Amino acid sequence: MNSLSGQLTNWRLHLLVVLISVLAELIGIIKIPLGIGSIVLLPLFYAFIMGLLVNPNIIKKAKALISNEKAAMATPVILISVLPFIAKFGTLIGPAFEKILAVGPAMILQELGNLGTLLIAMPVAILLLRMGRESIGACFSIAREPNIALISDRYGLKNPEGIGVMGVYVMGTMFGTLFFALLASFLATTGLFDIRALAMACGVGSGSMTAACSGALASSVPAMKDEILALAGASNLLTNATGLYLGLFVALPLAEKLYVLLSKETTTAALQQRSSGNV
Amino acid sequence: MSNATRSNATLTNANPNRNPNAAINLADHALVLVIVCLIALISNWTGTGTGPITALPGMLIIYGMVFAGLVLAKLMPFYLPSVAWISLISVGMTMPAFPASEWLLGYLKEISFLSLVSPVLAYAGLAISKLEIETFKRSGVKILLIALLVFTGTFVGSAFIADLML
Repeated sequence: MNSLSGQLTNWRLHLLVVLISVLAELIGIIKIPLGIGSIVLLPLFYAFIMGLLVNPNIIKKAKALISNEKAAMATPVILISVLPFIAKFGTLIGPAFEKILAVGPAMILQELGNLGTLLIAMPVAILLLRMGRESIGACFSIAREPNIALISDRYGLKNPEGIGVMGVYVMGTMFGTLFFALLASFLATTGLFDIRALAMACGVGSGSMTAACSGALASSVPAMKDEILALAGASNLLTNATGLYLGLFVALPLAEKLYVLLSKETTTAALQQRSSGNV
Repeated sequence: MSNATRSNATLTNANPNRNPNAAINLADHALVLVIVCLIALISNWTGTGTGPITALPGMLIIYGMVFAGLVLAKLMPFYLPSVAWISLISVGMTMPAFPASEWLLGYLKEISFLSLVSPVLAYAGLAISKLEIETFKRSGVKILLIALLVFTGTFVGSAFIADLML
């Protein structure tokens, strides 16, 4: 983690964040009907987009507002600014504890749903996009901090596996919150899943992904707001506690096996194609 | 073969007993937390209309929970992410069985959880670095497609199992 010293003197950064947050909150929640469902836009999206717009790495003219070095100091603050929200989330779980116990088996077993990424993403990465060992890092998990630590420890971040996990991590940072919120609010209106199941699925990613996802879900089904937030928060808590170990002992070994299996298939398929071409 | 020995050697390094949180600097964290909580109070004010004075007791409770979680994360001999410690504390203290839970919740309801996230995402937008933009440009569409499949697979996998079990 970067050093936190010098944050007090970096008032420009914090002032910008205040202004952005105020503007975002003033815009408020917007619902957009879309086909059979509807999607929900939350203040946190606008805050992220406005953050990008005053980021000198993206908009050169933003240098007038804040220098690259001072903007870079936002990185360690993210990890701390998410903590009050984590605490607030916990206080939504506590009162609903009995309701969560009632869905206990579902709550615990849905953690295994994290392996769904191996089934959906990995075959596409290897068979369709012809990715190499990057696919192991990219597809074995949802690529949040504990998963990066795991890959870095095992393969190093400069190796293909590391590049894979960092790629998905960056995409998650940029689009994860938005994508999960849209997915959840959309699936909620289709009626394919129990709302409580969707709430639990909201907890698979980072804290802010969980917030966006469950916030959007709660706006789609206001009557179940408390239960949705409690289930999502509890699921995220469980992911935080077990994610590293699920990755280490289950997902990563499975990803290795699946890679060998699928990439062999592609080589034999390629060979067959070549030999049939020769004939 | 060499692959197997390599992963064995690194596995011992990945021993979860080593607690990386021991390096947490509590003084620095305490200070930055003050800034973050002040910003959250303003965000909460515009988002919900609840004035900062009314919301202050709730925010102080949250501050205390976060700090206690950081202390535990630093001092415990084994590793759990600090977010897990903070959650355990905040869940434990608001469970109906906890004596002061009703009293705490009375103050905590003045803080909207969504308003707490807006500043986080503002920092996140500002923190996107040149390196991340480079990664995005280099691996571009391919990795974006994979990332969206990873998110969808994880989410739907989890929702599917939960739905079966309910």
